[in-house]
Amino acid sequence: MVKTLLSIFISLALLVGAAVFETFYVGAQFDKFGDALEALEIKVRDESATRGDAEAVRELWETEKKNLHSVIPHNDISYIDYWMGEAVSYIETKNFDDALSKIEVLITICEQIPQTYSVSFENIL
Amino acid sequence: MGLIVLRTAVIFVALLAVMRLMGKRQIGEMQPFELVITLLIAELACIPMADTSIPLLYGLISMLTIFLLHQVMLLIDLKWKPFKTIVGGKPSVVINKNGVDISQLKKNHLDLSDLIESMRTAGYFSLDEVAYALYEANGQFTAMPREDAPKENKVSLPVLIIDDGKYCERNLMLTGTTRKFFDDILYEQKVKTVRHVYVLTLDGTGKIYMQCKGEKFRTFRIKLPEGSAW
Repeated sequence: MVKTLLSIFISLALLVGAAVFETFYVGAQFDKFGDALEALEIKVRDESATRGDAEAVRELWETEKKNLHSVIPHNDISYIDYWMGEAVSYIETKNFDDALSKIEVLITICEQIPQTYSVSFENIL
Repeated sequence: MGLIVLRTAVIFVALLAVMRLMGKRQIGEMQPFELVITLLIAELACIPMADTSIPLLYGLISMLTIFLLHQVMLLIDLKWKPFKTIVGGKPSVVINKNGVDISQLKKNHLDLSDLIESMRTAGYFSLDEVAYALYEANGQFTAMPREDAPKENKVSLPVLIIDDGKYCERNLMLTGTTRKFFDDILYEQKVKTVRHVYVLTLDGTGKIYMQCKGEKFRTFRIKLPEGSAW
């Protein structure tokens, strides 16, 4: 009886802990990445963005994704890699119109991914 | 993770409800919640293991949730009896002193052939050999033999002649009898039509076990037609 109660409390604590950690951690990681993308977007709009700026954002993403692999599906990470690669190459070739659209997509993904994993009625069903 | 926990819990409850609604036919010596856990655990372990795009943590969290639900169920099983009946079901007495309880069989989505099969597995070949028979909550069959059960000298397998108001043509052929032969017997027994008979079995000694719908069973002997042996 005591063993059963103890196992219930321990597993419940682990699950609640993991859920809280995931919510805040994923949210924080994407907030940080989203802010970097927004800064890059401003520079792209001004047509002053350089490959160095884009590479800096990509490096930030590369660091973050190592930790995110354990909590979000790898396919979602691959989408960001793909869009990020395109944005970097467009910025390098000074094709700012196309780069802007790629960055817009990345910003949208950064907003959507944490929502996809949030506890809500539509996500449960 | 919270999402996975809730989704796992929703699927667990849904599967449990479906298993309970399916009756005892679907359960094999396990409590419904144990069967649900067995079904879920295998899939939960396999999917993240085989699909590299899914983090392994998803499988681990789901399994931990299943473990938590299992422990909660165990606790409820011990402490709260009404809930135990809701989740695990209760035994169904399918044979009582009046014979086969048709409503209990139907409630558990079982038919006469399932009952006869269970009886044979338990070592009883004739329906009048047992005083009480029940399907436990885990689907296991238990029978209590009748103290005054008739001891036959001649070994003979009873065969089902009428099953839920219909003749079993194959068994009529096996026993070398005809519909007319049994129609006459039913007439003698004051049974208007075969549709009123829920079960009628015949063994090689000529003993008939018959139960009409809504009535107590009766056993009697008949003289078998010439050449009738199996």
